[in-house]
Amino acid sequence: MNKTITLTRLCATATTLLALAGLTIPGALAHDRYLLPTHTVLSKQGAETISLTASISNDLFHPDMPLGDNGRGTTPPELIPLFKALESVVVLPDGSTEQGPSWQAFSRLSVADFPVQSDGTYRIMLRQPDTPMTTFTKPDGTHGRIFGPNPKLPEGTQEIVRHTVSSRVETYITKNAPTRAALKPQGAGIELAGDSHPNDLFSGETAAFALLYNGQPLKQPATVRVIQGGTRHRNQRQAIEKTTNANGEFEILFPNAGFYHLSAEISEKAPDNPAVDVHHHSLFVTLEVFPE
Amino acid sequence: MHLNKRIFVALLFSFIPILVSSFAHSQQLNLTITIPALDVSPYHRPYVAVWLETPKRQSIKTIAIWYEQDDWLKDLRQWWRKAGRNNRAQYDAATGATRKPGQYTLQWDGNDASGKPLPAGDYVLLIEAAREAGGRDFLRQVIQWGGEPQHYQLEGQLELGTIAIDIQ
Repeated sequence: MNKTITLTRLCATATTLLALAGLTIPGALAHDRYLLPTHTVLSKQGAETISLTASISNDLFHPDMPLGDNGRGTTPPELIPLFKALESVVVLPDGSTEQGPSWQAFSRLSVADFPVQSDGTYRIMLRQPDTPMTTFTKPDGTHGRIFGPNPKLPEGTQEIVRHTVSSRVETYITKNAPTRAALKPQGAGIELAGDSHPNDLFSGETAAFALLYNGQPLKQPATVRVIQGGTRHRNQRQAIEKTTNANGEFEILFPNAGFYHLSAEISEKAPDNPAVDVHHHSLFVTLEVFPE
Repeated sequence: MHLNKRIFVALLFSFIPILVSSFAHSQQLNLTITIPALDVSPYHRPYVAVWLETPKRQSIKTIAIWYEQDDWLKDLRQWWRKAGRNNRAQYDAATGATRKPGQYTLQWDGNDASGKPLPAGDYVLLIEAAREAGGRDFLRQVIQWGGEPQHYQLEGQLELGTIAIDIQ
């Protein structure tokens, strides 16, 4: 019965569906996330190490909560399930993938060092694979959320929606000449693609990007939100919002130099999957734009 | 008679570009760069790049790159993007140490990075300077190569003083 109600609502328009059926991603999951590298462009001939911070925060790039931990840091109890699911991954200039840097959580952010050995472009990410999450309404009308498969739901629970949540929090580093092998899609969730190179961005120039979904151009229109860092020190977030075209493409003219946060989110119903009602995928990319 | 004279004049002028372009290889670019003395502490000598691009921003030749450590070459952002990061061998011959404040002259014989004479046409000469704990200057001048002698004078904002460009 509950499932029937849910599925009926899933047939409504996406907006109504998200608003009424509790399909938005609640709590800390709905926050922005970011990786912030100390450097995105390097010119040294030998090896060089950069440092990165990561945070779950709605202020860009002002950290609020840590994102990622190697077991030696300070992880708030409510974030332990998320951190266990996170994968630290790096794609090397030759396109191969390996274990990413070891992140350590502090009270308001996580920190990692990353040695940059060979020339070319690296893609560094904290990836959260599809994680089951169940949202529901309790008999007293309050909403609940449980992570993990086979949740034990309270008696009399209604409006049960079975989600999966995946996210990619990414940035790019280039030593000497930029390369494109690390930009190749991994084929899962939302990814950034397109003609522009993410380490070759300048203010006053239009960059051409595209979103991929499961490795293919995203066909359904999605909103891409681009926000320059420093939101705490200005009154408006000044988000640049772009809608992807039928090939998933969009263009951005960066008004100023600085670090920018690019994010996109899609929710897709899973009518063919008996165990899941809706999949959520989000992408958070940090880009550095240089002055002319 | 009148007609013949006109044809003669037309022919005369039509040969001029050919004659000029045949002299293009012997043209020379002379550049005077002023690095201003700045009353700042700490003072670091600026990194300076001088290079030539096509109007479509293809790098042709690095004429000079004055620097100390390659870590900071990226701060000459436009040079790094268009010339530096792609092929070190192409600018190796143009490298030099950073210079103290003063006036410096540079010459370029018109041969591109592979040693071929530059074809006649429009090009852009770029001068970029970046100073540690200081600022950055980026100047551009469109020039015609293989044409008339030219003289340009540019003024930097802070990191560069007067730049004189002579094409003879």
